[in-house]
Amino acid sequence: MLDYLRLEVRRTLRDAGFVIGGIGMPVLMYLLFTNLGADDGGWKTGSMIGMAGYGAVGCALNTGGGVAEDRAIGWLRQLRVTPMTPRQVVVGRTLTGSVTVLPAIVVVLAAGGLVNGVRLAAWQWATIALLLWLGSVPFTLLGLGNGYRLTGQTTGVTNMACNLGLAVLGGLWFPVALFPDWLRTLSAYTPTYRFAQLGTAVADGHAPALGAILVLTLWLLAFGSYAVLSYRRSGRTV
Amino acid sequence: MTQGTGKQTAGTPAGAQAAAAQTDPAVRFTAAAKSFGAVRAVDGIDLDIAPGETVALLGRNGAGKSTTISLLLGLNEPDEGAVRLFGAPPELSVRAGRVGAMLQEARAVPRVTVRELVAFVAGRYPAPLPVSEALRLAGITELAGRRVDRLSGGQTQRVRFAVALAGNPSLIVLDEPTAALDVEARQAFWASMRVFARRGHTVLFSTHHLEEADAYADRIVVIDRGRIVADGTGEQLKRSVGGGLVAFDLAGRDTAGLDLLPGVRSLEVRGDRARLRTDDPDATVIALAGLGAIRGLEVAPASLDDAFLALTSTSASTSTSPSTSSVTEVA
Repeated sequence: MLDYLRLEVRRTLRDAGFVIGGIGMPVLMYLLFTNLGADDGGWKTGSMIGMAGYGAVGCALNTGGGVAEDRAIGWLRQLRVTPMTPRQVVVGRTLTGSVTVLPAIVVVLAAGGLVNGVRLAAWQWATIALLLWLGSVPFTLLGLGNGYRLTGQTTGVTNMACNLGLAVLGGLWFPVALFPDWLRTLSAYTPTYRFAQLGTAVADGHAPALGAILVLTLWLLAFGSYAVLSYRRSGRTV
Repeated sequence: MTQGTGKQTAGTPAGAQAAAAQTDPAVRFTAAAKSFGAVRAVDGIDLDIAPGETVALLGRNGAGKSTTISLLLGLNEPDEGAVRLFGAPPELSVRAGRVGAMLQEARAVPRVTVRELVAFVAGRYPAPLPVSEALRLAGITELAGRRVDRLSGGQTQRVRFAVALAGNPSLIVLDEPTAALDVEARQAFWASMRVFARRGHTVLFSTHHLEEADAYADRIVVIDRGRIVADGTGEQLKRSVGGGLVAFDLAGRDTAGLDLLPGVRSLEVRGDRARLRTDDPDATVIALAGLGAIRGLEVAPASLDDAFLALTSTSASTSTSPSTSSVTEVA
């Protein structure tokens, strides 16, 4: 399974679309959004976490795009006639998602620290990276659910819509403080808002609120069930 | 039935597996059937393939070849009957690494090199071939460092062959392996396949090319509308249909009545030459001799094409010859 993980991570990192869209874009947007207009030190930290989160969500969803592609070209079917079990394939794919979110998180945090001069304690950097990494799992599952259910093209579009919609609603691009009240209320229920909260809480020097963990856990369960259902449904067609 | 003489080839890791499987056939279908909606794609198949055999599954498009192979590989389960590989359910034999397959309509895996892909698949099996040997057998040693998605169609096909044999499986299944290959690529492919088969592996391939089945298989299983309609060597299939082709120069002779000679089934005239398809070449020749029509006489046995058409003719009312215009059908 480690071999499978290695193979799929390698394939993902060789995808120019993934590198540009999943890693390059969030960094570029972070540097643009924080260096154009008024200088606000707090936003440099907040946007860093938001954009690292945005990158992580994009990369996590991309795993589903990979699954849809592999279904279309018959690679998953080919794996079924090797000694690999279906469980190994699914777990390997999920782990691939977990690994491929790391570059986006690390690169955006690095841009924050090295270019934008964000200053945090060592434990804060480490904890933020770790929490963003763990917090991306629900989005990997959402991507897998799409990938096992939809065709390659539809998966791409759906993932894109999920990514942009959740990023904007969850305040990853612009702080929710700018939102009208009703939108801010809605935002509190999105997985992305709660995902970013994991990081902003640590940047503020305290543990994430229970509410954030609770809402994110509910989304984890929802997306997890969605992925399992999609996978089961695809079982006969892979 | 003819069995591969290379069955006991020494020095192959497959030897141990072959010994364990001696009591069980490599493949056994028992009254297996599978429907998709109203279509009965496989309609009760009984088939045994002994270890070491090279068997061709021959049929038209849509005859049920791919469904048969899906059942064999455990990708689909039969509605009725059973399929066993080496005495075990297909899933278990696949899990145990005894099966390698080249599936139809699989495309190149993007963003991996040939060596990475073959090495990965080989690593899934308990006793794989060394990667360099798998590449050599498939004739793609010089492509090892190339990206799979940047190869030509023929090269991709050979990569897929390397993927199928990388695990050194006892049974290798090739679903239409040469579809969409040009003549040269096709010959290179079959040369590779033969080398692999000679090492004592059981090979099952499907094709709708008669020449391929005849040239590369010990045994041909003809499948039509989900059923096995013939099973034997190319020779046996041709003999079972019987008859042959008798041709001679007309030398200006009138063709009237030729189609009424003993045994004659059809008459075709090409320029000054008459070609008679006959069920009884001897009787036809004697009758022609009686007419003095034996200039440039030629008698040939039925071709595999004839055999195939005869075996599957009940299923389709398609024209039996491309040159229909000059053919006179008798009865």
